[in-house]
Amino acid sequence: MTAVQPGLAGEPGVRELLAGLGQDAAGDGSVITMRVAAAGLDAAVRRIAAHPGARLADVFASGGSPDTDAGPVTLRLVWALDADRRYLITESVIDGERYPSLSQVAPAAFAEECEIYEQFGIRPAGGGPLNRVALPPGAGPDWPRLGRAPAEPPDDVHAPHHVGGHAFEFPFGPVRQVAVESLYYGLVTSGEELVDLYLFTWHKHRGVEWRLRGATPRQALFQVERTEGLGAVGNAWAFAAAVEAALGLEPPPRAMAARAIALELERLYNHAAATAALCQSTGLVIGQAAAEIALERLLRVNAAVFGHRYLFGVVDVGGTRRDPDLAALRRDLSGAYGELRRAAEALLSTNSFLDRLEATGVLTQEAVRRLGLVGPVARGAGLAVDTRADHPGPPYGEFPPGVAVQEPGDVLARFRVMLAEAAESVRLIGEIAETGPGAGLAGPPAGGTGQTGRCGLGWAESCRGEALAWAALDGDGRITRARLRPAAVRNWRGFDDACRSQNVFTDIPIIEASFWLTVAGTSR
Amino acid sequence: MPLWTVRGLRRGVVTTRYPARPDPSADLLATPPAFRPDVLTRDLADRLAAVCPSRALARDGDVLVFDVGACTACGRCRAEAPQAAGASGEFELAATARAHLVKRIPLGGRPG
Repeated sequence: MTAVQPGLAGEPGVRELLAGLGQDAAGDGSVITMRVAAAGLDAAVRRIAAHPGARLADVFASGGSPDTDAGPVTLRLVWALDADRRYLITESVIDGERYPSLSQVAPAAFAEECEIYEQFGIRPAGGGPLNRVALPPGAGPDWPRLGRAPAEPPDDVHAPHHVGGHAFEFPFGPVRQVAVESLYYGLVTSGEELVDLYLFTWHKHRGVEWRLRGATPRQALFQVERTEGLGAVGNAWAFAAAVEAALGLEPPPRAMAARAIALELERLYNHAAATAALCQSTGLVIGQAAAEIALERLLRVNAAVFGHRYLFGVVDVGGTRRDPDLAALRRDLSGAYGELRRAAEALLSTNSFLDRLEATGVLTQEAVRRLGLVGPVARGAGLAVDTRADHPGPPYGEFPPGVAVQEPGDVLARFRVMLAEAAESVRLIGEIAETGPGAGLAGPPAGGTGQTGRCGLGWAESCRGEALAWAALDGDGRITRARLRPAAVRNWRGFDDACRSQNVFTDIPIIEASFWLTVAGTSR
Repeated sequence: MPLWTVRGLRRGVVTTRYPARPDPSADLLATPPAFRPDVLTRDLADRLAAVCPSRALARDGDVLVFDVGACTACGRCRAEAPQAAGASGEFELAATARAHLVKRIPLGGRPG
């Protein structure tokens, strides 16, 4: 029988959803955690998936480690109930090596089913093939894992397979260009049109989540913000928020304002970089140079305001570590953003550029929903998913962002979303810096209940979309399990769908630039 | 372009000096640390080596061994001991041999 705490879920819809789901529920209102028996997991997934606005945001496991936690594996599903402004976590203890298949109900869970098999050795019932997504082929039984090694290695993606007719397979990568991340494309083409595409992202696997075990939150934060260098603030904010939720810490408003300024600066420079990449992929060297000038100026703004071009070392557990230089912000930001705006205006009046973007890499809204995509990729397909608006925390509750949405789902729509977001970021930075609580150092984490042995969920709307993190601490305050789910983890799974949508070979770099993902973010 | 060619031929110099002028943004770059030997002690060197995430620092007897090639300029050592480590401001780190990037800094400080 489900016991729902009074006042836990105020909305009637959420209350109805929770009733009958599991055995008990806990949470502070914005995050609800429920235990669901493994036998009832399939029914629970069907029920939650049918809830209006429910989105499967992440699936991960803990326990089952011969080294640190020999108990049974616990499977956690993180659902974003965006319409209800809540996250719902279901916890299911899995005895044995099988659990009910999640991807049959929520297809977005397939990548995580594969990863959980590689890391914990448990697999969904049904016996379907699982792909290799996380660990490299040479990862034997002694390879560092979060849990036990699987009984058999997973299949390689699409291998063995046959390419018939006039199509042939074109292997590309993992070494592609200078300073571009390792990524292997398996391109199936008939010479011009792309028939199929699959990716290997495991070349960059670094075992970050494995390395975080036993670390203090601050030690871990150092590695978390380096997991994906182009998303340091978003991922660090999500992780710090997870630890703060576990410890009952509440950062002061000034620190949250500083975090928001850093997060919006990160969005700005990433969107400028994506603009430059779009120009490069379409062969517009003048446009690329103009966008890169804007990018360089924005990076210098970051360095002047927060002391680091890529905004490392800003977020701290319980607050922030660096005091923003608001005078430098006022002096430099408008000029740097002006460069980007001028480049964008020129590009938007260049037909040879727009022709390459329009109707390229189309993702339908249905596909975005089915795969649980986030960020500009989702918003470019008409889905207004933005944690700053859907799950607002300080200072976004006081300074709500305008969520930019475009309908067509093509590269041009994603580009327009990025440009609108860049303008909105400048507005938000100005408002938060000038009329907010003042942005400044938090000092040492204050408050807190002193509770340890707890866990928490954190999130932030990074430049690529919703970044999630979950952390569990032991009695000494050290991490027993940390889950990092940058937005790239979600959005790569939509990339092949976008590439297959009647595109030709040379469209792929354009689509990749419009997604503006990192391999490091998914291959962590 | 022709002017450049003529001027280069006349002066005998066909390349521009590097850098043509100081980069005003160079001060904003993260750079490896510069250590003050007179402040460094064995204990302090051990502390610095312990906080270095890329193992660029190690103590060898009464010498702090600093591998600049392994340093990522993360700033942890500067935060740990600001009295002993500051920003070097040096970001042009090319060397003709890998060994040239390893510095041996004598520990000249008195044990506290």
